Parts: sequence; structure tokens; C-alpha cells
Amino acid sequence: MTTSHTRGNSHGATRRSPIAWRGLGLLALVVVLAATVLAGLALGAREIAPGTVVAALLGELPADHYDGLVVVTERLPRVLLGLLVGACLGASGAIMQAVTRNPLADPGILGVEAGAAAAVVIGIVIVGVHEPRGYFWFALAGAGVAAIAVALISRATTSASREISLVIAGAAVAALLMSLVTLLTVRDEAVYSSLRSWSVGSLVGRGSVIGELLPFAVAGLLLVLTLGRSLDALALGDDVAAGLGVRVGRTRLWAAGIGVLLAATATAAVGPVAFVGLVAAHLARLIVGTEHRWVLPYSMLTGALLLTAADVAARLVPGRGELEVGIMTAVVGTPFFVYLARRRVRSSS
Amino acid sequence: MTVHTEHTGHIQRDAIRATAARIRARARTTRRRHAIVICGFLLIALGLLVAQLYLTGDALIPARDVVPAALGQRDGLADYVVRRTNLPRGLTALLGGALFGLSGALAQRLFGNPLATPDIIGISSGAGAGAMIVIAGFGATGIGVQGGAMLGALAVSLIVYGLSWRGGVQSYRLILIGIGVGACASAIVTFVVTRLDEVSTQRAMRWLIGSLNGANQSGVALLGATLVIGLALVVMIRRPLSDLALGDELAVGIGVRVPIVRLAALLLATLLAAVVTSVTGPIAFVALVAGPIATRLLRVPDAPIVAALVGATLLGATDIAAQTLPLISPVPTGAITALFGAPVLIALLVRKKATV
Repeated sequence: MTTSHTRGNSHGATRRSPIAWRGLGLLALVVVLAATVLAGLALGAREIAPGTVVAALLGELPADHYDGLVVVTERLPRVLLGLLVGACLGASGAIMQAVTRNPLADPGILGVEAGAAAAVVIGIVIVGVHEPRGYFWFALAGAGVAAIAVALISRATTSASREISLVIAGAAVAALLMSLVTLLTVRDEAVYSSLRSWSVGSLVGRGSVIGELLPFAVAGLLLVLTLGRSLDALALGDDVAAGLGVRVGRTRLWAAGIGVLLAATATAAVGPVAFVGLVAAHLARLIVGTEHRWVLPYSMLTGALLLTAADVAARLVPGRGELEVGIMTAVVGTPFFVYLARRRVRSSS
Repeated sequence: MTVHTEHTGHIQRDAIRATAARIRARARTTRRRHAIVICGFLLIALGLLVAQLYLTGDALIPARDVVPAALGQRDGLADYVVRRTNLPRGLTALLGGALFGLSGALAQRLFGNPLATPDIIGISSGAGAGAMIVIAGFGATGIGVQGGAMLGALAVSLIVYGLSWRGGVQSYRLILIGIGVGACASAIVTFVVTRLDEVSTQRAMRWLIGSLNGANQSGVALLGATLVIGLALVVMIRRPLSDLALGDELAVGIGVRVPIVRLAALLLATLLAAVVTSVTGPIAFVALVAGPIATRLLRVPDAPIVAALVGATLLGATDIAAQTLPLISPVPTGAITALFGAPVLIALLVRKKATV
């Protein structure tokens, strides 16, 4: 409790009051998000004037207007999917960082998305599932198994600090599962190219899954909003949390379950996209401080912003065709991960 | 009284003699174990090469033609399949595996951590990224690709080492940062692969997962030369490197030039891994697994040569499995190594005391 007081005081002394800061941050986020969404609708292989985009969204264009059709049928679903998946990943990252007390946690880094992707590929290749709602259940099972495996492995280690062993365990499990994905998909080029998005996350041509996965995503995101207080209590340490009347084990399990659910939804929709959750949660904390009541909703916004922006950037990279968004987030996210790792291990040693 | 002392002296002398005999016997057992293990692995490696010749390849060659074809006494299909495809592939697997094992054992020794191998800390991915960049950017082929891979590996190893330097390198910080930098390098490879349209997916995949497809004689020659030079250098650097395990101050005290030994070992481990990666693409986990297996077999902490042999047999066997296993074959060799490598990584992580 004392730490949060001093933090509040120092904020008040050096910056604006936390509430004004949060408000400003929210305003800035919404403005940037709106600009990104507009860019996501306007930019790409065919550049469309912002005025036309707005007109198309308002339904003022004739039904056979080509640019209008591109905006409404191609780009709008894709941007919406990016927003939804980004929000899921951001919230999932924030939850995982809170549950593991590890600033390096992220559904991609911890192998949860790899588990979901591997299970979906098994579902497609072996069981013959072909609709996104079916993918979701496989993704959920795979993500759950991977999360439990990583948690157990990192719990069993004593050789390094738990933070580091969690990351290494995640990397090992992810390597195993992604090699499973490769083994199942690489056999011939046709299968490989059609299942490629399960190796690298991509928003291309996936706008149609949004309707099928929306219920799961919305349910998960609403559940996240109920977690704020209990995660704040957990952040004070297990003993204090128990003293405040929180059932520590059950709360942690429940929160982790929601984090896994969100990661599974995101992976079922677009394939594994790492580092969005990691960066989103840190960005959210930068704006609102450490209280999870605020961090969780803000990390949904920052996650949505990051994924949409990465998608726009991936479209604009010069060259033929488009880049998968998962590559873009890895190129941008890994330097941030390295920065965190460098800072973190120094302070813990 | 005197009788008594004399008696005690006898007993002491006997005890000393017995101890000496025990030490000698133990040394003999160790030597014998060494010899048995090395001979065993050489036999297995030979067996794998023969199996490669007989079991793999696109066309079936009559069994009686295989050995003559390998020796260059046949022509046509048999010559093409056995001498130009299977033989280089088998040799590439064995030599490449040996180099991976050597490089991994060296890095594990250098950082004093079994997890700090070139494939885990991103050096192999860096070599892949370097190769991919020179292929895409400069249209390089052959030796240019090798150069690009080496530059990429060197760049990554210096970046990782530099970023984890804080008045000394803490091995777990190095591993964590290496995982991050390696992920970035793999993303760059994927990035470039997606940009390249004229390269077929299969060939481009090689720089992501690693495959022995398309091994040829010049690759074998390169790997063979590297292995000979590498073994000599590793043997040279072995003594000062094991002195480093005493701690830097003590090592300086007995006359080891610590920074030079460190740098030399790092460069050697990096370049050995880079050369293989430039031929096969980044095949993960062989370098990680070989050292600990060799240590277990010999029950000594430092066994670079046996680690090389273990690496050779591992990659040789994996490559045959990648080509012949029912249901999954043919797959890139690098896609299979994770199946045994990741569990070993987990086991190394879980084990109580992390020793090399």
C-alpha cells in the first residue's frame, strides 16, 4: 500500500495528477487509433482518398462504386479484425504479466499461441475441421495445454530465476509445437501455402472469421474487465492478497484461464502473432501506471492500436505482395523484448 | 612403541599405494571409456553413412551397385543418385553435425551454461538472416552466401554479447537476450523470404528451418576443411578455456590472457556454427544437445571431440529419418531436430544443477 501512495505522490509532484494523465492518454490513444483505422481503410495496394473512405462508411456512395466496395467489403472487415484481435492480445499480455509477475510474459513468447496454432493445424489436417468456430475449440485446448506445460516446467526449475526459466520454457515449448506445425504443413507446397498463416500470423483474407469468433472475443474481453481488483490485490504479494480476502490460487488460475482464452481466440482468428501483448501491456502501464483496473482496458486499446498499425505498416513495406503482420510485430517487438530483458535481469541480479 | 609406529607407517604406505592404484585404475577406466565411446561413435557414423547410401534418394539403385557407384565406378542414374546426391548429403550431415556439436560444446564451456549454444542464443538464425540478405539484396551465390552467413552470425554474436555485457557477461542474461535477437533474425529471414518471389518456397524454407536438400561436393569440402581447422583450434584453446572455469582472477593469476581467450572462443564457436549454417540453413538443437550427451557418456565435464561425434551421429540419423520416416517424410531436417531437442532443453532447464 505504501508504495502506491508514494508513487501517487511523486506523480502528483512531477507530472499532472494521475486522473488527468489517464484522460489525456485516453484522448491521445483514441485519436491515434482513429487515424490508424482511417489509414488502414485508405492505404494499401490501391490508395483511396480519405473523403471517399468516409463517404463509403456512411453509405453515401453508389453500390457499384469500386473504391467504396474495396473499403466496405475488403478493408473494413480486416481493420475490425485487427482491432478485435489486437485488443484480445493486449489484454492477454497484461493478464499474463500480472499472473506470472513477469514483465517479459506474452502469449507468443510463452508458447501459448504456438499451442493454439499447433492444435488448429491438427484439427485441419487430421480431424478435418474447416470453420473458424471449430478452430476456436482446438485453439483453446492447445493453448491450455501449452500454458499448463510451460507453467509446470518453469515451476520445476531451480537453476535460474523464475522469470528467465519461464521465457526459456516458453521458447522450448513453442519450438516443439511450431516444429509440429511445420511437420504437418510442409509436406507439399500447396498445403504449406494454404496453412502458412498458422506459422506466421496474418490478417490477409481473414475478415470473414470475425463474425464467428466475435462472441468468444467479446465474452473474454468483458471477463477481463472484472479482473482488475483481484489482480491489483495479487500484485501486492500473495500474503497481503490473502489477507485482503482474495483466494490467491483460484484467482490466479481464473485470470490465467481468461488470458489463455483470449490468446486462443486471437490465434484461431489470425494465427500466432507474438510481441503485441508484451508491448501493449507496457505501453498501457506507461500511460496509466500499475493499477490493473486501468491497465487492462488500456492495454486492449494499445493492443488494438499496435496490431492495426503493424498491419498498415506491413502493407506499406515496398516490394511485391503484402507482409504477414506477424513478421512485422516480431521485427518491431523483439528489440523491445531485448531492452526489457537487459534492464530486467540487471535489476534482479 | 617403535614397532607400533613402524606398523602404522606400513599401513599408511599401503593406503597411499592403494590410493595410487585406485587413481591409476580410474584413469585407465576413463581412457578405456573414452576409447570405447569414440570408436563406437565412429562405427555408428559409418553405419549412418552407409544407411544414407542405401535407404535414401529419389530412385532406388540396386543394392549391388551402391558401393561401386559411391566409389565412382558406375555412371548414369546410379552415379547421380549415389555419388552426387546421397554421398554428399550423408557427409554433409555427419560433418555439419560434428561442427554443430563442437561449436555448441565450446559455447557451453565458454559461458558455463548448457543452454548458451549458438542455436539458442540466435547465432544460427543470424547466419540464416545474413545469407538471406545477401541472396536477396546482392543476388549472391556460392561463396558470397557463405560470407553473408558468417557476417550475419558474427554480427548477431557481437550484438548479443555486447548487449549482455555489464562489467562481465551473466549467462542467463545472455540467453534471454539471445532468444530475443534470434527471434528478430528469424523474423528478418521470413520477411526477406516473403519478398523473394522467384525463389521457390522449398528453397527459401531452408533459411528458416534448415535442410540438407541440395548438399553438394563443394559444401562437403568446405565443411571438411572447417572441421579439421576447427578441431585443431578447439584443442589449442581447450586448456586456457578450462582455466577460465576457475574464475577470472585465478585464471589471470596463472597466466591466462582472459579477454583474448574469451574473444577467441566466442569467435571460434560463432564461425563454426556459421559455416554449417551457410551450407544447411539454421538447424537448431544439435549444438545444444551434443555437449550434455557427451558429458554424460564420458562422465567428464569437458569433451569437445566426443561432442562433435555425438553431433555428427545425431544429425546423420535425423537426416535419414527426415527422408524415410513413414507419414511425415520428406521434411526439412531442421523440422525434426526440435522433436528431440526441445525436450532436452526442457530437461536441462529443469535439472537441479546446471552443469556442462
